[in-house]
Amino acid sequence: MFELFKAELLRFRTWALALAGVHFIALGFLTRVVDLAQQPLVVHWSFGSTYAALGLLLGLYQMGTYRKPSAWLNMLHRPLSSPRIATSLILAAVALLAVAVALPIALIALWQGAMTPRVVDLRHWLLALAALQIATAGYLVGAYGMLGERRYCYAGLVFPLLLITAAATGLGALALQALAVAWLIAMVLATFKPDLDAPPRGAAGMIAVALPLQMAMYLLMLLAYSGVEMLWIAQGSHPNNTPTPPRGGHNEAEKADDRTRMRLALAGSTHPDAPLLREQIALSEPVGIASQLRRVPRRSELANVAPMEFDDDARGVRWVFSHDDMRLHGYRLNDRTSAGTLGIGADNVAFPVPALPVGAMPGSAKGDALLIAGNTAYHYDSESGQVLPRIRLPEDEVLVGASPLGETLGAISDRALYFFDGRETVEHQRVMTPRLRVPIPGSYHDIYDLDMIELVDGYLIVFSNSYNAHSAEGAVPYQYVLRVRDGGEIETIAKRRLAYDYPELYRYRSFWTSPALYALRDRVQHLFAPPLPLETSVAAPIPRSMWLLAGALSLLSLIGALWRTPRLVMPAPVRAAWVAICGAIGLPALAALWLLYRPQEIVASEQVSMQHAPVV
Amino acid sequence: MSTHDDHVIETHGLSRRYGRKLALDHLDLRIPRGRIHAIVGANGAGKSTLFRILLGFLAPSAGRARILGRDSQQLTPEDRGRIGFVNEEHTLPGWMRVSAIARMHHREYARWNQRAYEEVIGHYHVLPEQKVGQLSRGERAGFNLALALARSPELLILDEPTLGLDVVAKRAFLESLLYSNAADDCTVIYCSHQMEEIERVADNLIILERGRLMHMSAPEEFCSRVTHWVADIPFKGPEPSTVPGLLERQRLDGLHHYLVLDQDEGFAEFLRGVGARSIQSMPVGLDRAVNAFLAKNHAAPAAAA
Repeated sequence: MFELFKAELLRFRTWALALAGVHFIALGFLTRVVDLAQQPLVVHWSFGSTYAALGLLLGLYQMGTYRKPSAWLNMLHRPLSSPRIATSLILAAVALLAVAVALPIALIALWQGAMTPRVVDLRHWLLALAALQIATAGYLVGAYGMLGERRYCYAGLVFPLLLITAAATGLGALALQALAVAWLIAMVLATFKPDLDAPPRGAAGMIAVALPLQMAMYLLMLLAYSGVEMLWIAQGSHPNNTPTPPRGGHNEAEKADDRTRMRLALAGSTHPDAPLLREQIALSEPVGIASQLRRVPRRSELANVAPMEFDDDARGVRWVFSHDDMRLHGYRLNDRTSAGTLGIGADNVAFPVPALPVGAMPGSAKGDALLIAGNTAYHYDSESGQVLPRIRLPEDEVLVGASPLGETLGAISDRALYFFDGRETVEHQRVMTPRLRVPIPGSYHDIYDLDMIELVDGYLIVFSNSYNAHSAEGAVPYQYVLRVRDGGEIETIAKRRLAYDYPELYRYRSFWTSPALYALRDRVQHLFAPPLPLETSVAAPIPRSMWLLAGALSLLSLIGALWRTPRLVMPAPVRAAWVAICGAIGLPALAALWLLYRPQEIVASEQVSMQHAPVV
Repeated sequence: MSTHDDHVIETHGLSRRYGRKLALDHLDLRIPRGRIHAIVGANGAGKSTLFRILLGFLAPSAGRARILGRDSQQLTPEDRGRIGFVNEEHTLPGWMRVSAIARMHHREYARWNQRAYEEVIGHYHVLPEQKVGQLSRGERAGFNLALALARSPELLILDEPTLGLDVVAKRAFLESLLYSNAADDCTVIYCSHQMEEIERVADNLIILERGRLMHMSAPEEFCSRVTHWVADIPFKGPEPSTVPGLLERQRLDGLHHYLVLDQDEGFAEFLRGVGARSIQSMPVGLDRAVNAFLAKNHAAPAAAA
């Protein structure tokens, strides 16, 4: 086994070393231009995709050369079990990828940590491991793609898709990558056998291949629906593509300008002040509170939501947040020397959660910055060189953004809107006290638009909660109109139900195709993920008609399996299991059954039609 | 000793279908242990399919196959260590040195016979530090044979091992095989289209045609079944369909030449009966006998039939 491992290393060593060199030079060049440790998620995706593609090519090429009948026979016809041969090849590939992918990243991290004042945390070292796991996953997808039966060799692709869409961060992301790699190894081992055309080996092997294949079938069906949607768009009646959006629907509200959307929210309102408020909307300039966080930063996450650094232009210092000691680390921009660390207040206390720079406090001086960390907004005061808390919300809330509203400072959390006296931002440096708190109707995640106008004695606020109203994940779309008086009184002026612009069949397509896989996909995408307060939705209940449709399709699949399985070579318990699976999972399972097993070849006696009798 | 131990290969009703075509058609074959067995057959006769099934790389559509007493679909790594296989491509890792491959096989195979390896590789000018990719086709074939024999297999399958080799390389390969002591200890299945090779090496001749066993005996026994008759018959001679055991007929210089199977002196009577003025019979070589046998049923366009 070790000999095979060595032989495979030898085979690709020149390529691996050359790629490692190119990779190191590329990273070295980029790190001279930017701080690679502070790049946002999209940059990490680009790198990750490149590593996965590299692994994919290796898997396709390596197994492609062995898959030829004579080479395959030569490789597997030896006194070693197939799994041990496969393990040798996989381990060699991982070692090669470690050299080509992980080693240059580690070397660059070493150089940056030792030779520059830039921040290098544990999470940056872990990027080398993440890159290796992603490249390995790509390699295994390629290996399986080459060895697997042509009809379903693409099943491994569900794992890269999972890694792209997963919500896990930091160690959770690493664990998910490891799980994907482990599963892909199981798929390759189940397929790595002398007869490549035979179904996967053993019950465990069959499960290892059949489950991702069913998910692949499910995703392909969703892709097919998208194709139908393209035709719908081309035909011109797609609600998102008509010259004017359907009246009364969520598209109409979403596409309207701020003022029109506020007026739409009051349509049909019987509140006595509604006519007056409509006039005020027409005369006023709508404003909003910007959300500055798309996602809450998590400690030791591998990629940043956004670069965790800001420049103090007045002092010529760049401050970078370190996840290791939860403080800002500064270095001077002119000579790249260290400017020390910065925590909270004069005592330099560590931040309780990662602090993300999001701009500057309204009215603040040059060099100042605003940092959001959990329920608190901190003000970096360039003059004093201190970071001080200015907005502190209740413990269980997450501050999402803050922006000026005339003379008022508005802030939004995942639970409520807050209004502060704008003068406080410049008059003192203490924690500010909100004048008003307005709870958000529904869930923060469901808000598509937030519009407000200033009234004589408060604000008129319109929440348009229609985010994801086009899909099964969305809440029932509503517009809420609230009037808030300076005294703190909150009055609901209107609650307008928005119509769905898309039929149920469209909105719930990911559900009725297979409720089981719909739930599984959601669970897996959130595996090892931290709580996601900004992505919590109150989805509308699934209509009974969609349950009935899903049930009918499952029944159809069950009948299909009952018809198909007697024509296939499989033991009775396996046959029963497939029938049950098709009934539980639906059409994707039936499609997988169709692809995994070929009907038994019948060699009937009458087919022995050789006209020449043997002469033995 | 059980029946399984007496036969290195046993198939019962072995069939393999590719779509509408039967590559193996209810093949019943039992190859006894020991000696060199040659399998011949035209392209598409099912030889490669048979080997792939025997080594567990293809599942039969029907029937059973056993190799060294084991169901071919249940071969263990130990079984594979007892079965050598050399194919026409001599697939070896081109990036590795000869010494490294030999070392790898030495460690993999418990019954590695270094003397046998050196005995065979000595026939070739192959240096240990050479990479396989730098070897000529003949050298690669010899190296592959050396590796196969050094593993001390109980059964060695050679699937057209000399295909594409020049005359010198072919001779070197055959001599390596024939004069190796290691080959004496194992059963060899030799598959080839080269009848002069078969004639030289085979103790037993197995003819496959369209996936069926058509003949199995010693080569000379098969030759004795085929006779060449030359008759001087005026005019066009008898209708081919009336000629008993006809394999091949030709008319050269006004004389009728017939290659026939399993015909004794009674065939002379037949020829006289159709007007032969003079008759002569003679034995044929293996090459001609097998070629005529295989060509008899070769597919031909309907118009030419």
